[in-house]
Amino acid sequence: MSEGPDLLIERVRSTLREAPGTVPDPRRVAQLLSVVWESPEPSALRRWLDAWRVPSLSGVGATVVAGIALFAGFLTRGAVDERRAPEPFAATGSQTGEFPVQFASATLGETAPVLTQFVLDDAKAQRVSLVGDFNDWAAGATPLTRLESGVWTVSVPLPPGRHVYAFLVDDTLLVTDPRAPKSGDADYGREGSVVMVFAR
Amino acid sequence: MTDTRPGTSIDPTLPLRAKAGDRQAFAQLVDVMYPRSLRFALHMVGNREDAEEAVQDTFVRVYHNLGRFRDDARFEPWLFRILANRCRSLMEKRRRHAVVIQYGEVPERGGPPAAETERDWTEEVYRILATLPVEQKEAFLLRHVEDMAYEDIAAVTGVGLSALRMRVKRACDVLRARLSEVIRDE
Repeated sequence: MSEGPDLLIERVRSTLREAPGTVPDPRRVAQLLSVVWESPEPSALRRWLDAWRVPSLSGVGATVVAGIALFAGFLTRGAVDERRAPEPFAATGSQTGEFPVQFASATLGETAPVLTQFVLDDAKAQRVSLVGDFNDWAAGATPLTRLESGVWTVSVPLPPGRHVYAFLVDDTLLVTDPRAPKSGDADYGREGSVVMVFAR
Repeated sequence: MTDTRPGTSIDPTLPLRAKAGDRQAFAQLVDVMYPRSLRFALHMVGNREDAEEAVQDTFVRVYHNLGRFRDDARFEPWLFRILANRCRSLMEKRRRHAVVIQYGEVPERGGPPAAETERDWTEEVYRILATLPVEQKEAFLLRHVEDMAYEDIAAVTGVGLSALRMRVKRACDVLRARLSEVIRDE
């Protein structure tokens, strides 16, 4: 192989290694850790599904397992319809939104604060802060951080229990969380959103 | 024994400590591996938002599956295997959408003429990369950008060594052929 082509690939490699946009955003990294800590343990089903993606089955092993699965499917064909179980996942209580409010585990007892994430998707907002019964509805006390995607986020430690909150957009507009249930009461002169924080 | 292969800079005790429940160790793993993960994902999926989503999802999965990480295994191929799967899933999800490469502004280097040339080159590299078959792009990135050994790429992709070498070679052939015109113009 001549030197020219190697130099060309080397240049491609340099270009891709130094590509703009590949420098991590420190806020995003911090948020990632927050998401990881707060992410719920996957369900047994999820773990089973992950088992097909994560581990390293050998090619032969994967073929054998796939063969067994196909054979089992052949034997039980039609059985699923006959044993129809309506909404099998409805009782899990898991949050399934794109940016779910999730609950972290508290290890210091039932009253220990639990880090809780709040997210608002509003690319046009200049400033967003979180107001609620946990910060006396103080405007600006809990500002959210804007991610590159236009999503605003903040994680705050909250004591277990029911909390009412809202987002204050650009210091003037109070909006409820579209991903959370409404409070039905009016702590701040109008309806808020509700987050239930559970100790684990 | 410390692994000194290029691109491998993880303290081998970190995954084990993270597996034992040491959050600080996991945070260090994220710190070390996030930049490379983001770079790989960005080149694979072509836009930052999806790349960050893939990387975040990967680390969540890694965290919850650490218990299944073998003590004698190497962390990097394990992580990249999950990441590559996430990238492929996202690409499949976006397959019907128009391909838009959103790397952001290409930085200017030097004076205007040189910057223009550099920009042409960089954009052409992205453009060609985006046209490569996924399996070739993946193999090329892991080998030539992430400096992985073929044995590790095999662990990531589940593909045999000879097939991987062929994928990398084909990707290089396409890049050489199409970029040679850009070089002639410089």
